[in-house]
Order: sequence, then structure tokens, then C-alpha cells
Amino acid sequence: MKNNPLLWKLLRSHISKVQLVGFGIANLLGLFIVLVGLQFYSDIRSFFTEEDGFFNKDYLVVTKSVGNINMVASLVGGADVNAFSDDDIAELKEQPWLKKVGCFTTAGYRVQATVSLAGQGLRSDIFFESVPDEFLDIEGGEWVFDEKKPEIPILVSKDYLSLYNFGFAASRGMPQLSESMIKKVPIILCCIASDGRREYLPARIVGFSGRISSILVPDSFMKWSNERYAAEVERQPSRLVLEVVNPGDPKIETFMKEHHYEVGGDKMNSNKTSYLINVLMVIVVSVGLLISLLSFFILILSIYLLLQKNVDKLRNLLLLGYTPKEVAATYIRMVVGINATVCVVALGLLVYVRMLYLPVLESLSIDCGTILPSLLAAVVVIGAITAGNVVAIRKKVTSLWLLEK
Amino acid sequence: MDTIQLHNVLPQVFAGRTGLVSDVWLTDVEFRRGTAYLVAAESGRGKSSFCAYVYGYRKDYSGSITFDGQSVASLGINEWAEVRRRRIAYLPQEMRLFPVLTARENVELKNRLTGYHTDAEIRTMFERLGIADKLDSSVAKLSIGQQQRVALIRTLCQPADFYLLDEPVSHLDAANNRTVAEMVMEEARRQGAGVIATSVGNNLDITVGEVLNL
Repeated sequence: MKNNPLLWKLLRSHISKVQLVGFGIANLLGLFIVLVGLQFYSDIRSFFTEEDGFFNKDYLVVTKSVGNINMVASLVGGADVNAFSDDDIAELKEQPWLKKVGCFTTAGYRVQATVSLAGQGLRSDIFFESVPDEFLDIEGGEWVFDEKKPEIPILVSKDYLSLYNFGFAASRGMPQLSESMIKKVPIILCCIASDGRREYLPARIVGFSGRISSILVPDSFMKWSNERYAAEVERQPSRLVLEVVNPGDPKIETFMKEHHYEVGGDKMNSNKTSYLINVLMVIVVSVGLLISLLSFFILILSIYLLLQKNVDKLRNLLLLGYTPKEVAATYIRMVVGINATVCVVALGLLVYVRMLYLPVLESLSIDCGTILPSLLAAVVVIGAITAGNVVAIRKKVTSLWLLEK
Repeated sequence: MDTIQLHNVLPQVFAGRTGLVSDVWLTDVEFRRGTAYLVAAESGRGKSSFCAYVYGYRKDYSGSITFDGQSVASLGINEWAEVRRRRIAYLPQEMRLFPVLTARENVELKNRLTGYHTDAEIRTMFERLGIADKLDSSVAKLSIGQQQRVALIRTLCQPADFYLLDEPVSHLDAANNRTVAEMVMEEARRQGAGVIATSVGNNLDITVGEVLNL
């Protein structure tokens, strides 16, 4: 439908700029709250749901509590009382809430890791552990070890990166690192066998897990390397990974307390926080939607008032042979223009606000989402408001068709 | 469209009134293309109602109206819009001009829909009716007689099978009445259209084929 400037000249009178600006601001505010709520939620969600892609959220990592007696015992070189015995594992396997159990295998030899960072070489003694591959979910064949062409994939706890970024780097004036940056840094591992033999192997960090405070390598590498460098060492696992039916089951908590086992990570707290964040998000988005809805009614009222004031003109146009659709188009164009502007401004504000909080999240090693869900939400909300406006305007103009029924 | 027929039409406000004598109400009457009609009536006999019923913006009547035998009740909004653009050219008694627009803009608002006349032709019509100097004046500043001439020009800005003119010359002097009559008849003859003019006394200066008393 082509624009008719005469229609606009005729029908624009009685348009209240104040009302339209009021609608625009209210709509902008509502949409902005909805978008910021959704965007912030989608940005931090990965942090709370802890579905870090590597480790299922129904897995629990269990250790024995390190008490004073244990400490003394291990100091005097007695049996490793922190380790789980075969009996311990057998007892666990009998529990009805357990689906399967896996042992953490520890490297029986010394390892030094060397990285070259910002022109400085950093070397540190580290340790390895492995869990059965079935407990890890790493895509794309990255989690393999080939002894002919060894490049060892490593999964590191997020906490270590935070320790480096906030403890080490900050105090030494070293650059802070993001996850993606550190994945590109080549690492040389020096494996020191029990007979003093040294071998150098390249390694690469393939991911960060928020759930395991350890450094994990593939199980196949662990077996290979333990045979190669520490064949004679036989150790019982000091950590277990459990797949349970329901991590919130109170029976699990009771069992762990009775046996003085500790469940790693603050999963319970994380669950509560995640729940509260969800509730908060729903409240924020609801408030935003409510404001949007109210602004929608402001606009409808404003337009009804406008149409009422122009009712004679509208009727006369219909008598001239204009269709209600053509007459309504003048106002619809105006509404679409306002709504599109609101949408663009709200998205602009969102991008700006996100730029303000994104560095904070990045420094907390939170994997942020994209802006796509908010973009979609903006289009849906504005689309719905516009559709409602268009229907209301058309209906009102069509109702003027007959003078007397 | 060749005929407009009214079958037993009666405005609802006249329902129950006895002793009604009319050539239009409660009877069958047919208006044919190519013929000029004068619908004469005193005030209050339902003259404007008659126009509103035929032009489709009021339905407060009993009986039925047909265009070429087709009941107007079956016409949708878009079909009515088409009738108003191409079939029936209507000049309302109250003129229904837009005071915020100039005389030229008022006419253009119709001509834009139909594309019937060129700017030059519109100008010529203004000149013939002696209001060429008012082309760009806002209608609010025109006298009632000048407004009636602008409204007439607007009515002529479309093809038509019928010209439905509700007291077209009520505010015009004899000279302007003649000019208006000439212009309407020129257009009507050119298109073979019918003319239905109403009047309470000051008749449009045309030769009518049939006079109907409301």
C-alpha cells in the first residue's frame, strides 16, 4: 500500500505527541527489562547449571574426610587411610541410589609442566588423575591418546584458572587469561619415572570443568604412563565418581555422613542458587512483560482516543471510497514506526549494558551465551504488541463503516 | 451498473406512519442509467436517508435495494468501496469536505483514488465555477457557496454510472446553478450515466426525465 501524504496530513491532527512518547518510553522500559533479564540469565546460566559439557550434573565426586588421625597416619607412612578400599567400593555398589561408580586413578610418577607465556617460561610440578571415559562427555575425538603421536588432552578445573587470574597474575603483573586463550597455549609435560628417567610429551588443555577440582587426562594415557613410568606402584583410589539416580536424595547425604565421606563441589548450594536465580529471572521478566503489556494498553487507549477525535474525517474518507484498510494504514504505519524504533533502541541499550557486565563475567570464567535469544525475544514481544495494535486499529476503523445499522 | 431499484423501502423512523404518499417509499422504483431524475421533497421526508441507503452507509430501513438485480446487502466493504470509486458519484448535502485541507487537496484526495482527471482538468473545473483563485485556500476559509462548488468538483473526479446529488445547488445563485448543471450533464452524457438529484425547491438546472415526489 503506497503512502498517501494527503491522508497523513489529514489524519495526523489530534495526534498527541505526549501520549505517544509516554507509550514509547513505557514500551522501551518494559522491553528493556525483559531483554536484560533474559540476556543476563542466559549469560550466567552455564555457571549455575554447571552443565559444563564434560561432566554430567548427576555425578558426585566423593573423597574421605581428611581428619587429624588420617593426617598423622599418612605422615608416619602407614596405610593410605584416605584411599577407598575394595570393601568401601563394594559397600557403595550395594546402595540402591547408585547407578555406577568409577575410580579416579592417580599418576604414580612426578610430572612437571612447562608453558611459555608472555615471553616467560613457567614451570610447575603438577599431578594427574583420570576417570573412566564413560564418565566424561567430550566431543569430537579430542579425548584420545595415541602413543605413537602423543599429544595429551587435559581437562582442568575452572578454579585453577581463577587462582591464576585472580591470585597469581594479579600479584605478579601477568596478563589475565580467558579460557579460549589458554586452550591455545602449548604445554610441555616432563614425566619423571621412578628410576629418574625423563620423557617430554606435548599437551594441550581441551576444556575447563567447574565440577572436578583436579587435572584430568584420558584413562588410556594414565594406564600407559603408569605402566611406563611407575609400573611397580600400586595405589588405591582416593576419589570416586558416582553416578546416582537423584543427587538430591537425602539417603545419599546420610550415607556420606555416616562414612565420613565428602561430596566434592558445592553442588547443593549451586542448586539452590540456580533455583533462586531462576525465580529472580521469572520475576524480572514478568515485571518487564507487565510494563510492556501496560504500555500496549496505553497505546491502544491513545489510538482509540485519536480515532474518536478524527471520527468524522475517517467516515468521510470511507464515503469517498477509501477502504478501512487504507485509512487504518496511516495509523498502522505510525505505530509500526514507533514500535520498530523502540525495538532498535532497546536492543541498542541491551548491547551497551551487556558490554558493561560482560568483562566481569569473563573474568569469572563464565561462558557467556549469544545475544540471539534476546534478539528473538525482542522480535516476539514487539511483534505481538504491533500485531495487537494493528488488529485494534483495523477493527476500530472498520466499525465506522456504517453510520446507522 | 445499469439500474438501481428500491423495493418497498421505508426508513425505520417512518414505520407505522399512516397515510404516506410517496413515489419512492413503500413502492417499487427503478433508476436507469442515462436518465435524469429529480427527487423532490419537503424537508423531513427522508431525502438524505434515501441517498445514504443507496450509497450504502446506512441500513436503517426495511425493504431492499438492488443494483442490476443484485441485493446491496450482499456487498462487502471492498465492493462498496469499488461502487464509491467507479459506479456512484455522490455529493452529500452536508458536503463533507475537510476544512484543514485546501480546496485542491480536498479534490485530490478523491482524484488520487480514481486517477480520473488530470491536474489541468481539475483547474479548468475550478475556473469554470469561478473559484480558481481559491485552489490553495483552506476550505475552512471558503464561503458555503464556494464550498459547495469544491464539493461538486470532487464529486466529478470519478467515473460513474450514476450521479447522486443531494441538494447540489442549495447555496448557489442561478448562474452557478447553470454552470454546475452543464458540468454534471457533460460528464453524464459522456459516460451515459444517470443523474439523481434531490431538491427541496432550488432545483438543479437540468432537463429531468422523471420527477419523483418523496
